[in-house]
Amino acid sequence: MYWKYCIKRIVYGLAIFITLIFIFSALFNTTMESTLRSQIEEEIRGETLKLDTRMTPEEITRYISERREFKRHLYHLDKPIWSRIVWRAINVLSLDFGKATIMRSSSGESDVWTIIAECLPRTVLLFTTAIFINIILGLWLGLKKAQRAGGIMDKTTSIGTMIVYGMPSWWLGMLVIMFFAYTIKIFPSGGLHSVPPPTGFAYYIDLFYHMALPVLTLVLIGFWGSAFLIRNIVLGILQEDYIMAARTRGIPERKVLYGHAMRTAAPPIVTMALLSLLASVGGNIIFEGIFSWPGLGNLYWIAIEQNDIPVLMGNLFITTALYIGGLVILDLIYGFLDPRIKVGGRQ
Amino acid sequence: MKWIDIKAGFWDFWNEFKRVRFGLSGIILLFIFIFVVLINSYIVPFPEASSRWRDITYWEDNPVSAPPVWINWFSSAKRAPSLIIEEHTFSEEKMGKIKLTKAVFEYEYPYDLPPLDVIFHGYAKGSPVIMLSIERPDGHIIELVRRPISKSDGKKVRVSIGKDSRIESYNFGAKYEKPESNRIEREMVKPTSVLFSEAKEGILVYPSPLKGTYKLIAEIILPGENDEVVDIYFTFSGGVSGWLGTDSSKRDIWSGIVAGVKWALLIGLLTAFTAVSIGVIYGVMSAYLGGWKDSLMQRIFELFIGVPLLPVLIVMSAIFKPNIWIMILMMSCFFWVGPVKTVRSMGLQIKEETYIEAAHAFGASSSRIIFKHMIPLLIPYSFASMALYVPSAIVYEASISLLGLGDSTIVTWGQILRDALTGGAVINGLWWWVIPPGLFIALMGMTFAFIGFAMDKILHPKLRTR
Repeated sequence: MYWKYCIKRIVYGLAIFITLIFIFSALFNTTMESTLRSQIEEEIRGETLKLDTRMTPEEITRYISERREFKRHLYHLDKPIWSRIVWRAINVLSLDFGKATIMRSSSGESDVWTIIAECLPRTVLLFTTAIFINIILGLWLGLKKAQRAGGIMDKTTSIGTMIVYGMPSWWLGMLVIMFFAYTIKIFPSGGLHSVPPPTGFAYYIDLFYHMALPVLTLVLIGFWGSAFLIRNIVLGILQEDYIMAARTRGIPERKVLYGHAMRTAAPPIVTMALLSLLASVGGNIIFEGIFSWPGLGNLYWIAIEQNDIPVLMGNLFITTALYIGGLVILDLIYGFLDPRIKVGGRQ
Repeated sequence: MKWIDIKAGFWDFWNEFKRVRFGLSGIILLFIFIFVVLINSYIVPFPEASSRWRDITYWEDNPVSAPPVWINWFSSAKRAPSLIIEEHTFSEEKMGKIKLTKAVFEYEYPYDLPPLDVIFHGYAKGSPVIMLSIERPDGHIIELVRRPISKSDGKKVRVSIGKDSRIESYNFGAKYEKPESNRIEREMVKPTSVLFSEAKEGILVYPSPLKGTYKLIAEIILPGENDEVVDIYFTFSGGVSGWLGTDSSKRDIWSGIVAGVKWALLIGLLTAFTAVSIGVIYGVMSAYLGGWKDSLMQRIFELFIGVPLLPVLIVMSAIFKPNIWIMILMMSCFFWVGPVKTVRSMGLQIKEETYIEAAHAFGASSSRIIFKHMIPLLIPYSFASMALYVPSAIVYEASISLLGLGDSTIVTWGQILRDALTGGAVINGLWWWVIPPGLFIALMGMTFAFIGFAMDKILHPKLRTR
C-alpha cells in the first residue's frame, strides 16, 4: 500500500503548494502589477523610437495608446482583480515568471526562470554537502554523548549546542572569511570557482576548494544541534525494554547500540537530517550572500539590491516549491522507513 | 486554577529549576541584559546613540575605524585614546571695551602614538576671535589657530586643530628637520604628530613621542559688551576609542551595541510571546473541538508549515517596507506553527481526563474548559518553547536587517552588521566592528537557550541520564 500513501502525500503537497501560490499572488499583486506596467511603458517607448519619422504626432499618440491597450490585454491588466490573480498564479505554476527588469542570466537572458534555474543546483549542492557532513559528525558525537549521558563530554558538548543555538550562520561566515581568506589567506573569500574557471578534473577540485569555507561554517554551526538531537533520540531508545532485554542476553554493547538502537533511531534521524536541510532553506539561505556563492540565497541579495521584483517573486516561488517538495519527500522516506505509518496512514 | 495554585506551581518549578546549573546562568545573564537596558545611559559615552545613530553630526568628533581602547594592553606602541577635557583654569582681562579671556586645559600624554585630531568646542555669541595655542612639556609654545567668528547668535563653534593648523605645525617641525627632509609635502604632515613629538631631527619624518603634560590654551578676544564663548571643551579623537572602537562612520560601537540590547529583547520576547500564545491556544482548540473543526484547523496549520519562513519574510519586507512593530507582527504570524503539533497531542490527552468530563457535565462552555482547565496545564511547556523561540526571532530580524531591509529608525545588532558588511569591515579586518554585534546575538541566544533547555530538561526527565 506504500504507493497509495505516496500518491496521497504528493497530491496533498501539490494542493498546499497551489494554495500558497494563490495566496502569494494575491498578497503581492499590487507590486507585481506596477512592475508589469512600467515594463510595458518601457517596451512601448522602445517601439516608438523605431517608428517611421514621417508620422504625425496624432498618429504616434494613437499608435502608443493602441499598443498600450494591446499589451494590457496581453498581460490581462484590463481584467477584474480576481481574474488577474488567478492568471498570475497559473502562470507561476507553469514556470512562467515573466522577465527580469535588470538582472540577466550568465548567457544574457532576462527570463526569470532561466536565471533561477542557473542558481538552483548550486544551492542544492552546497547545502546537501554541508548537511551530509553535519549528520556524519553529529552521529559520531551524538552516539558518544548518549553512551555516557550526564558525563563530562555530554555536558560540555551540550553547552556547546546552547552556545551556537542563537548564533547567525552568516555572522560566523563573516568571521571565517575574515580569518581564513583575509588574515591567513589560505581559502578564497567567495565565489563558485576561480576566474577563469579551470577545465576538466581541476574544475571540480577548484569547486570544492571554493566550497570549503561555506561548508565549514555550516558544519560548525550545525553539527552541535544534530549531535544533541541524535543524543536525545538514541537516549530515549536506550531506555526501552527490548534494549534492556538485549543487554541481559549478553549481547555486546556495540551490537546493542548499532544493531538494536540505531535501527529504531534511523527514521527520526533521517527526518532530522532532512528537516535541518529544510531549515537551511527556510532560515539560512541568505548566508550564501556572504560567500558570494551564486545560489538562490545570493539571488535574494542581488534582487533586493537591484530592486528586481520579478526575480524576487520567482525566487520566492521556487524556494517555496523546494521547501514543500522537501516536506513531501520527508514524509515519503519516513513512511518507507517506519512501516507503521504507511499501514495506518493518518486518522 | 486559582492564583494560589499558580504560585505554588511556580515555586515547585523554581525549586527544580534552581538545580539545573546552566538554567541558572541563563537567568543571571537575562537579568544582566535587563539591567543593561535600565542603566543604558550611564554606561555608554554616547547616550543618544539609539535615536541619533544615523545622524553624522552626533559622531563627528570620533576617529574613523579606531580599534578599542584595550588594544593598548596588548601592543607595545600605546595609542592615545579618545577623550573629552572640560576642566580648565580660567582668567579674564579687560582692556577698555575689549575683554580677553584665557582658558588653560591640561592634557596628560604618556602614549607613543598621538591622537588623530584635537578639536575645540564652544558656543559663541557676538563676534569673538578664538586663538588656540599649545604649550609643550619642553617649554615651546606654538600658536596654532586664529579663528574670528562673525556675528554669531549662540551657535556652535568647532575648531579642528588637525585640519586648521597644518601650516603652523609644519613650520614648527621644519625648524628642527634636516634641510633634505624638509622637502616632504606639507600636506603629508599630520599636525598632531608634530605637536606631540620631540623637537629634534626627524620630527616630520620619524617623529618620536614627547611624553608629559601639555597645556592647551584657548585665548578668546571678546570685542562687544555681551559677547561670550561658553561651554568650552576639547575633544581628542584618539588612535583608539571606546570599549569597542568605532566604525567607518565614526560611530561608537559600544554605544550601538548597548542600544541594541533593548531592541533585541523586545523583538525576541514580544515575537515569542505572541507566537507561542497563538500556537498554544490554536493547538488546544484544535484538540478540544475535534471533528471537522479540527480537520480544518489542521489543514490551515499545514498550509503555514509549507511556508519557507525567511524567504517569505524577506520578500514581504522588501515589498511592504515594514517598521519594527509590523515586522514583529509578521514574524509572529509565521512563528505560531511551532508549538501547535505538540500542544495538540498534549491537548488530546488532557481532553480525556475525567475532570474535563466533569466540567463538561456541569455545563461549562468550551472556552471556559479550554482557558480554565486545559491551557493552565500547558503553561510550563509554553514558557519552555517561548524561551527557545526568542533566539530565532532575533536571528530572523538580524537576517532581514543584514539585507538592508530593517527599520532604519532604530539600531539593532543586525543593522550594525549590515553596515560592517557594506563598509568593508570584513575585507579590512576591522574585527571590533564584526565580532561584537554577532557575539551579542549569540550571547542573547545562549541566554534563552540556557533557560529553554533547562525547562525542557525538567519537563522531560527521561532525557537526563540513562
